[in-house]
Amino acid sequence: MKHHPSVEDLIGIEHCKLGFYQELRLKLEELQESNRESEQNRREIAAVLDGITDIMMVLSEDLCIISVNHVFKEVIGIEEPEGRYCYEIFRNESRPCPECPAHRSFLTGDVCRETAIFKLGDRNLQFEMVASPIRDPDKDERRILIFKRDVTMEKEYQAKFYQAEKMATVGMLAAGVAHEVNNPLASISGFAEGIQRRLGRMDLPAGADLDDIKDYVDTILKECTRCRDIVRTLLTFSRPVSSGFSPVNMNAVVEDTLKLLRSHLKQKDLRLTLKTDLSEDLPIIYGDEPQLKQVMLNLLVNAVDAVDQTGRGEGTICIRTYPENDEGVGLVVSDTGCGIPKEHLDKLFEPFFTTKPVGKGIGIGLSTCYGIVQEHCGEILAFSEPQKGSRFIVRLPSTPDEDSE
Amino acid sequence: MNVTKFAIPEIIFGRGSMVHVGQCARRLGAKRVLLVSDQGLEQSGWVERVTELLEADNLEWVYYGDVNSNPRDHQVHTGAQLYLEAKADVIIAIGGGSPIDAAKGIAILAGNGGVISDYEGANRIERPLPPMIFLPTTAGSGSDVSQFCIITDVARQLKMSIISRSLVPNISIIDPLILLTKSQELIIASAVDAFAHAVESYVSRIASPFTEIQALRAMELILRHLKPALEKKSIHALEQLSIASTAAGMSFSNAGLGAGHALAHSLGGMFDVLHGLVHPILLPAVMSFNIPACTAKIGNIGRMILGPGARSDEEAALDGIDKLKQYFGEFGVPVRLRDILPERSTLATLAKAAVGDACNLTNPRTADEDSLLGICEEAW
Repeated sequence: MKHHPSVEDLIGIEHCKLGFYQELRLKLEELQESNRESEQNRREIAAVLDGITDIMMVLSEDLCIISVNHVFKEVIGIEEPEGRYCYEIFRNESRPCPECPAHRSFLTGDVCRETAIFKLGDRNLQFEMVASPIRDPDKDERRILIFKRDVTMEKEYQAKFYQAEKMATVGMLAAGVAHEVNNPLASISGFAEGIQRRLGRMDLPAGADLDDIKDYVDTILKECTRCRDIVRTLLTFSRPVSSGFSPVNMNAVVEDTLKLLRSHLKQKDLRLTLKTDLSEDLPIIYGDEPQLKQVMLNLLVNAVDAVDQTGRGEGTICIRTYPENDEGVGLVVSDTGCGIPKEHLDKLFEPFFTTKPVGKGIGIGLSTCYGIVQEHCGEILAFSEPQKGSRFIVRLPSTPDEDSE
Repeated sequence: MNVTKFAIPEIIFGRGSMVHVGQCARRLGAKRVLLVSDQGLEQSGWVERVTELLEADNLEWVYYGDVNSNPRDHQVHTGAQLYLEAKADVIIAIGGGSPIDAAKGIAILAGNGGVISDYEGANRIERPLPPMIFLPTTAGSGSDVSQFCIITDVARQLKMSIISRSLVPNISIIDPLILLTKSQELIIASAVDAFAHAVESYVSRIASPFTEIQALRAMELILRHLKPALEKKSIHALEQLSIASTAAGMSFSNAGLGAGHALAHSLGGMFDVLHGLVHPILLPAVMSFNIPACTAKIGNIGRMILGPGARSDEEAALDGIDKLKQYFGEFGVPVRLRDILPERSTLATLAKAAVGDACNLTNPRTADEDSLLGICEEAW
């Protein structure tokens, strides 16, 4: 027996039948009061939560959604996400995303931040995520609170700003060069022309010397014209906004870009073989020349970087143009660079996607290309094999069809 | 005189008083009732009668009938689970001591949780119990008015005594008409049990004037009405036995019992014999043992048995006990322990188990293991 009763226990003077009305009434009042308080707390918290404009979710340890705020439902458009997995909704994946801050937060117990791009509907949206663990001393299970702020607009503006700044710098440089070079060039060219005229009028004995002088003057004039063209090409790059559509020779676009990149291609530590195979009967297409040059420039720079990243110090870049069906034009830029991993291929053209180290790229090059080609009603395709190289194909129709936009 | 206490439930007594069961349950806030009973009561139709009355009062009910005589701990656990699952709010039990004790056990677990052995002993219940209404069907157990609950611990083979004021039910409805359907044997067993309650509580260490009067009244009524009740099945006599049983219940609930019930509990725990049937065997032996501690009181009992005539206390006590043995013998029930136990060697175990029983505390003469063995030997 656990407890031996005594005679006093049996008499039980101090023990009564339990459960009095008074006790019940007090309990009832206490409960009503605490109910009122918790209801008020609930309303306050609900008001605070409704005031938050970010997407908010509470996740379980296996990233299952426990609850969300009304913003989630508005932005994501899913009425009852509770019970589904976070990665399933945001990534359409069957396992957690590698960059998930929730994991790190669970591991470290700290607040973790991360920025990531999610494809929602047909749009790529960039979210800034903050994950903070929720501790409940009464329960063993852990939960995590995640805020997702849509920073797509901010980032897009930022990217456009970078691009505009870059172009402005190039433009300023070009204008400066144009100014500084054009004047002496005009003098050289003027004097050379003067010499040429005078040579014609002067009655000089014919001979090897005279031929040489004529040849020199011709060369000076030809080189002057070349310099003028380079300066002009430079200016077309500096034009900040689309200048409107006009007839474009894609071979010229390729050559102009190569002119501009010549020094870049001659990197000291990179033995680069450049092959060009430009179709002679390439049709003239209708497009925005500076923008198409931008596309060419980006593809070339990427190709050079890809070769550079192999670390072998050498490589080949091929540029080919060919007539496409229906009087269109095809442009192929291929390299023997490092290639692109399979899982990255379908993200290549997304804004902000980059595989380059921090500080080397901001991931808008290819997305800009994609935008420009789309404006021309063309398409851009990427093929790649890791460690072997990549091939980008740009197809442009002769005339952008308004309807296809 | 020491400070004393007398606690009983509301008692509704009278022929046909059963009809008030629904109304009483409603008063206690019932919407869905847990009704506890046993197979015997089901077969005699009384369970159905109660459910009809509840339905007439628009009360829902859930029935639990899996109760033996000498209710087991697991039966209590199952019942409590049923009570909680059914979201019942009031417990009604109809039956003898067994369904009523089972109902008390269920109420303890429903209100306090845990397992029933947690509450073994006195005053270990700390939270209120669901309201309880009991309808006793035997004029004997007194469980419907008492603060005791006896449950068999199957594993340890003993009867646990649970004692708490909270076990006094809210309402006890005593309808003597139910006794009409009882067998002779059950009426005898019940009446002798009630008589033993009366005797033991009368001589108890903590008896008070309030319990003594009830005890004496109970003895007197049983001696006068048991035989007529058996011979003629007269409703009047049965009603008197009901009153006697309730009076004895009021007495022992407040004054406690003695060595006889301590031994009866260990007997019941070990051999599952009908509780009422061990008293004709044990009571005379216990009374003899107690004479030195309360000669006057046992003398009073003797005088009541023997009738008028001037005798000393001691004479009256000894003669009374002899007459009582003879009286029990006339009912054709076993009067020696050898008639119900397989072997004499079990007596030692029996005595050992009984010495710690709560009932032994209030025995007027201190009874250690040897004394209890002596009582058993005498009853053998």
